[in-house]
Amino acid sequence: MVTGITLAPLALEQTTFNVGDTVRVTVSFNYTVGVNKTVRLFAGPYYTNLLGKHLVDQCVGDADVALVPSSTPAAQTATVDFILIPKANSGIENGTYGLRVWIEDTNAVAEQDDVIIVTGNTGSSDMFSSMMPMIMMMMMMGMIMPMTQQRGGETEE
Amino acid sequence: MGIKNLVLDLGAFKVLQEDPNAKQQDPILSGWYVDPRTGQRVFYDSTAGKFFTLAGGVYIPLGYMNPAPKQVAVAPGDKLKITLSFKYTGPAITGVTGYYCLGIYGTFGFNETMVGQTTFSIPQVVTPPSSPNVTDSYTFTIPTSIGTNWDDIYVKIFGGNPSVGGSATTSFLFGYENALTIAGIEPSITEFKISDFAKV
Repeated sequence: MVTGITLAPLALEQTTFNVGDTVRVTVSFNYTVGVNKTVRLFAGPYYTNLLGKHLVDQCVGDADVALVPSSTPAAQTATVDFILIPKANSGIENGTYGLRVWIEDTNAVAEQDDVIIVTGNTGSSDMFSSMMPMIMMMMMMGMIMPMTQQRGGETEE
Repeated sequence: MGIKNLVLDLGAFKVLQEDPNAKQQDPILSGWYVDPRTGQRVFYDSTAGKFFTLAGGVYIPLGYMNPAPKQVAVAPGDKLKITLSFKYTGPAITGVTGYYCLGIYGTFGFNETMVGQTTFSIPQVVTPPSSPNVTDSYTFTIPTSIGTNWDDIYVKIFGGNPSVGGSATTSFLFGYENALTIAGIEPSITEFKISDFAKV
């Protein structure tokens, strides 16, 4: 019985980066073009929620790629860098992101979900987490203090 | 860039071919027929010996366009040489026009975007040849303005003394659909994929 299901490993492995890191993406493609042409290659992380996929615009990088004329499909590789700008600078939050690469004004797009893990932000969310025990302790003290003061008053009488 | 060749064989002249009875498969009477291969309604004119279809109120000759046996890749600046050939038996003919077109073949016929013409003569031939004995060619220089859909091509011959037929009525035309792969001004990109990504 033929199921028609093909099992294949993921093309890219999940990798962890710190905010501030520069990520270099390498792409390959075939092209034909009749004249010398420079195209712009973009890459950046994206996240997915109920509303779909959203690019983290602040982290998108770009690079120019020069194509020499070729009337038959020519193999080409290119690289593009992007920086994981910290959340504190209106950049990316800690979490897991996909990677998208595309060439402007063409139908060339490649992406893969959940391949970039971002860590290292010490932004507002982490500050809140670190302060949580202290806040909890203060809230407990706030509840206990009135009780002890009330009990002490009864003893005096 | 070198010259790229596309060779078109017009086949045998119908009335002068070696064995006229062998290919006499056309219907005898003028009228509407259904193409058993495509189901398309076609009109056959027994006088002209041509098939037509009706599109947009215009009768369009059928049967001169064929699937291309190969595709030739061209880009602006390339030279594309188109050669036609056919078997001929008969008197000498002078001043025959060879008409070469690149363009877009569609429902409403052939949109001729590039045209080239030659004039050539055919010598007298008394013995039916076993292989094409007349050839002619034209070389196009592909312009930068070429559209990536200008991938169809056709040739015809007409005129001469004695005439082989009028420009619009000649029976000697032949074409190929999707004969060209055109690299235009805008790049065409395939197999785009991420090879790797890493911290630098």
